[in-house]
Amino acid sequence: MKSTLLNMILSLTTLTLLVGAALGVVNYFTTEPIAKANEAARHEAIAAILPPFDHLEAQTSGELTVYPAFDGPDLAGLAVETYSDAGFGGRIVLMAGFDADGRLTGYRVLSHAETPGLGAKMDTWFQTDKVIGTDTDIAVRADGGDIDAITGATITSRAFTDAINRARHAFNDYNHGSK
Amino acid sequence: MPGTPLTIIIMEASKVLLDGIVRRNPTFVLVLGMCPTLGTTSSAITGMSMGLATLAVLTCSNAAISAIKNFVPAMVRIPAFIVVIASFVTILQMLMQAWTPALYATLGIFIPLIVVNCILLGRAEAFASKNSVWLSVCDGLGTGAGFTIALTLIGSVRELLGTGAVFGAQIFAADYGALLFVLAPGAFIVLGLLIALFNRITNN
Repeated sequence: MKSTLLNMILSLTTLTLLVGAALGVVNYFTTEPIAKANEAARHEAIAAILPPFDHLEAQTSGELTVYPAFDGPDLAGLAVETYSDAGFGGRIVLMAGFDADGRLTGYRVLSHAETPGLGAKMDTWFQTDKVIGTDTDIAVRADGGDIDAITGATITSRAFTDAINRARHAFNDYNHGSK
Repeated sequence: MPGTPLTIIIMEASKVLLDGIVRRNPTFVLVLGMCPTLGTTSSAITGMSMGLATLAVLTCSNAAISAIKNFVPAMVRIPAFIVVIASFVTILQMLMQAWTPALYATLGIFIPLIVVNCILLGRAEAFASKNSVWLSVCDGLGTGAGFTIALTLIGSVRELLGTGAVFGAQIFAADYGALLFVLAPGAFIVLGLLIALFNRITNN
C-alpha cells in the first residue's frame, strides 16, 4: 500500500482501534479471575505468616488494610497489607504478620518490580531472626540499623524496611484503637 | 496456495520450521533477544517458560502481521508491527495473571520485556511481512521452538553447574555447585560455550 498521509493515518487508526477493542474484550473476561487469584494469594499469605486462627476480619487503618485474626474471642494476630514507594522499580506490596504482642511473625511479598536476582531476592533474604520476631522499627546497617541489606540492592532493602515499619505503625494504631 | 500439491506445502513448511530451530536459531546463530536469554535462564524451568511464552506471542504476531501486511503502508509498518506485538504480549500477561498466577509470580516481570525482544520484530520484518499467513505461523513456531530449546539448554546447564539440579531434580549435592553460574556472569559463560558447541556440531 502507498505511504500517503491519509493512508498512514487511516491504517494506524484502524489498527489501534481493532487492537484496543481486542484488549478490552480480554480485559473484560480476565478481570474477575485476576481478582480471585489475587484474593487467594492474599489469604494464602495471611495463613502462612500468622499464628493459627479460626476467623479473619478485614478493616482499613489509615491508608492500609489490616486483617485482625481471631482464635475464638482472642486476637491471635494481625496481618497488614503494607507498601513502600521507595522500591527500585516502583511500589512494592507486602503482607506483614504480627502476633498479639506486636512481634513480627512473618512476611510475604505480594507484588514488586525489583531487579530479578537482586532486589527480587527480598522474599527470602529477610527471613532471619534480625527481622522476624522484632517488635520495634527496623533499619538496614547503612541507616544505623542491624539488618544486612541485600548485596547490590540497598534501595530495595530500604523500601522493605520502610514497608515493614509502616505495617508496624498500623499495628500500633490498631492496638491503641481497640484498647 | 491453491493448486500446489500437498507434498510441496509440507516440504516448504517443514523447511521453514527446521530453519528456525537449526540454521537460523535465534539464540545460537542469530544471537538475538539476549536480554531475556541472559535474564531468565537462571534455572531450567524459568528459561523454558520464557521460551514458551515467546513462542506463543511470536506465532500469533507473525500470523497477524502476515494477515495485515497488504493494508499497512511501508512507512508506518514498524509502529504497526509493534502495536500488534505489544497487544499480544498484554493479552498473554492478562491470561497468565488470571489462570496461572504462580507462573506469573515468577515470570511476571519478564513478560512485558517480550515486546522489546528483537526476535519478534526481526521475524515480522524479515519473514511475516513478505510471506503467507501459513508459512509465517510455521516460522513463528520454528523460531519460537529454537528459542525455547536454547533457553531450556542454557537454563539446565546453569542450574546444574550452579545448584546441582536440573528442573529441580538433584543430580549431585548442591554444595558442589558453583553459584557463579546462577548469577549474571554464568549466563555469559554458558551462553558462549553453548554457541561454540552448537556451531561446532552444525558446521560438520
